Amino acid sequence: MALAVFYVLALVTLGGAIGVVTTRNIVHAALFLLAALGGVAGFFALLYAEFLALAQVLIYGGAVVIVILFALMLTRRGELELMDEHKRWPLAAAVSFGLFAVMAAAFTIDAASYNAEVRTSVSLDALGAVLFERWAAPFEIASLVLLVALIGAIVIARSGGRDEG
Amino acid sequence: MEWAWLIPVFGFAAFGVIALAGNGLPWRGRYLSILAIAAGFALFWFVLLDFIERGAGFHRFGVDWFETGGVKVAWGIIIDPLTVTMLGLVTFVALAVQVYSLGYMKGDKRIGWYYAAHSLFAAAMLTLVLADNLLLLYFAWELVGLCSYLLIGFWHERRSAAEAAKKAFITTRIGDVGLLIGIILLVVHTGTFDITEILARATNPAAGEEMSNALITGTALLLFLGAMGKSAQFPLHVWLPDAMEGPSPVSALIHAATMVAAGVFLVARMLPLFEASGDALAVVAAVGLITGLAGAALALTSTDLKRILAYSTMSHLGFMMLALGAGGFTAAIFHLVTHGLAKAMLFLGAGSVMHALDDETDIRKMGGLRRLMPMTALTFTIGAASLAGLPLLSAFWSKDEIILAVHDGLHPVYLVLLLVAVVLSALYMARAVRLAFYGPLNDAVRRAHESPKVMTLPMLLLASLTLVVGFLVLPLGGGYEGIGAFLLQPGEKAHPFTLNVWLTAASVILAVGAFAGGWRLYDKRADVVTSARERFASLHRALERGYYLDAGYQWVIDKVVMRAGSVVALFDRRVVNDRGVNGPGEGTVFAGRQLRRHVTGLFADYGVAMALGVLAIGIFLWVRVA
Amino acid sequence: MTLLHFELLGAALFCLGLYGALARRSAVLVLMSIELMLNGVNVIVVAFAAYSVRDNVTGLVIAIFVITIAAAEVALAMAIVLRLFRSRGSVNVDEIDALRG
Repeated sequence: MALAVFYVLALVTLGGAIGVVTTRNIVHAALFLLAALGGVAGFFALLYAEFLALAQVLIYGGAVVIVILFALMLTRRGELELMDEHKRWPLAAAVSFGLFAVMAAAFTIDAASYNAEVRTSVSLDALGAVLFERWAAPFEIASLVLLVALIGAIVIARSGGRDEG
Repeated sequence: MEWAWLIPVFGFAAFGVIALAGNGLPWRGRYLSILAIAAGFALFWFVLLDFIERGAGFHRFGVDWFETGGVKVAWGIIIDPLTVTMLGLVTFVALAVQVYSLGYMKGDKRIGWYYAAHSLFAAAMLTLVLADNLLLLYFAWELVGLCSYLLIGFWHERRSAAEAAKKAFITTRIGDVGLLIGIILLVVHTGTFDITEILARATNPAAGEEMSNALITGTALLLFLGAMGKSAQFPLHVWLPDAMEGPSPVSALIHAATMVAAGVFLVARMLPLFEASGDALAVVAAVGLITGLAGAALALTSTDLKRILAYSTMSHLGFMMLALGAGGFTAAIFHLVTHGLAKAMLFLGAGSVMHALDDETDIRKMGGLRRLMPMTALTFTIGAASLAGLPLLSAFWSKDEIILAVHDGLHPVYLVLLLVAVVLSALYMARAVRLAFYGPLNDAVRRAHESPKVMTLPMLLLASLTLVVGFLVLPLGGGYEGIGAFLLQPGEKAHPFTLNVWLTAASVILAVGAFAGGWRLYDKRADVVTSARERFASLHRALERGYYLDAGYQWVIDKVVMRAGSVVALFDRRVVNDRGVNGPGEGTVFAGRQLRRHVTGLFADYGVAMALGVLAIGIFLWVRVA
Repeated sequence: MTLLHFELLGAALFCLGLYGALARRSAVLVLMSIELMLNGVNVIVVAFAAYSVRDNVTGLVIAIFVITIAAAEVALAMAIVLRLFRSRGSVNVDEIDALRG
């Protein structure tokens, strides 16, 4: 049963991903991205990481995609602009496929040494405890990063109008 | 005696001072130079007296300098009869010439440099005769050649002088290469530069293993090659007549008495090496004879006064070499001294004539000069007579010694040809003297006047010596057994003065007869001369052109040397420069340009490159782990 | 459903994102592809955490941080894209070659 769910989710995710990288319509790409990110949330749920699934949906689906859509709106020249591929795309495809092949081969060969079937879940309490005890420092720094990014984004996006370039 | 090394040092010091501070010195350094050489001359007398006191023999003083690869290099001097004789000759003639130059070079703008070069030359020549090892000798040899170049080309504003200096240097260079190779071979095989040691090893009967006969002959011939260059032996004599472009005092000092004697000196110094070889000695004698004859013939047809003297020098140097080849060490050196004195005086006389006639040297334009220049005429006649072999004058005695040595040591044909050469010498000397100084006064020279005392005094001094020095050959009592006893080679026994009556009589008759006959010929029977010239026209032409040797040399240079040079130059330009030197540079630029094509500035290109790199690393790690 | 399934999926997501980042010409699309790459990594990391014998938490924590930083990065990236658009009038990455040698 879980396997079936897995395959459905895989279809959605990978389909969305392929859509992002191939479609000519940029808005469609954003929507494909949303699908892919949603699929990933489902995977998190399958892996008993509910909190993460939630966070994924909220942040990516709710914030990131919106921001991307805003950016799309503000940087358009014409109606539903068509975007071609970069002229080097065969090479990029080859490299990506090559990398995938290497990774897949490595994983497959490695998988023979362990064949875990059991998935363990972690309670929210435990996750919180670890996050705020062992990983307290990175947590604080992450929050600082967010602050800086916020301020920085405002600064960059704002002063563009005053001075040249 | 140990202080004999100071003699050249005076000269070097004088050169240094004058060359650096010349124009600021009082009298532009003239008297400083003369002072240096006079000091050297004075010191020579002390050395001579000390030498006689301690017992004429062989002494060495040396200081080790450094040792490398098992070969020791040292500064050292030898004091033996040969050295002492040369010291005296060189210092005296140099002194006389420098005093004479006060008058001859008066008013010349670069007189400071002239005297500086003179000092340097004297110092180098003295070092050459004092040297106890071949390295020091070679240094001095090269230095002497340099000074010759500087002084021949002293009036370098004149194209012909510059060319002559170049010719002299290059021609003697050919000989010098032989000398250098010979020295290197000797050092390699004996492990030392020291002359005494090398000679000892060469003459050691047990040396068959150490120094093969081929080696001894080879090195002796190579050394002789150097001597041939410096002493103008045939065919390396071509530079000597051209060297007359230099001032006459220079010709007197360098090309009569001292530098050209260096070759003879070298062979004399290394004579045991030559004697150990036998073949080498034969070559020396043959070359000497050829040179003697060739030079005399050339002197006979030349019309330039200084050239006649130059060819005469060449001829007499040939005689000296012939004497050495016959084993007559004493004869050769004694003739070196008498010839040096007489020839120097002759050149000074020629300079006196040129000084009076605004540098005219064509004897056809002279005549009857004795009326206007009595002193010059007198000294010139004495010198010419001496060299022609007229009896009782000094060169007569030394020439007699040579004839004796050749009679004793060589095949009779040498003797015959030598006597022919004696006749020729008398002939050309008579011709020169008669045409220049005697006979009716030529209109062209009416304006001539006698030279100032500062020039005539040295000439008179040399003339008196020419009259007297000859008698040194006789045992004069007081322990002095004659020049033969004095000029000993180490290990040789003294040979006292001997007189072969027949030979002496023959040579006297030939010399006097030739001189008188020549006199009469050029005096009264000039028509005989002209008809002879016409009958032997081609021979005459060959003689005028120097046996076409100059043309021959030029051909070799043009066709062989220049061609080879252009091939090498082409190689240097195309291969070494274009490929070798520019190649890496251009290659680097090319590589850089190719790399630049990848720096597009586009993120996608860089990203692909990075991804490729990651892929490569991944594969590499995977292969390694697996 | 083993670990291998999740590993392969994550790898596929990552490589698809890589292709998009290298081959697409709009800056916004490149950014979307980068998001895909980050998500691929997250999947693998969380899968490792879930299937691990000893440590089940670290992977989750890592994934949380990745999401955080990704969000920050998107914000900044979009600001830059806006600036770029204002000065040039287009967001074609092929035209950004100021560092060209």
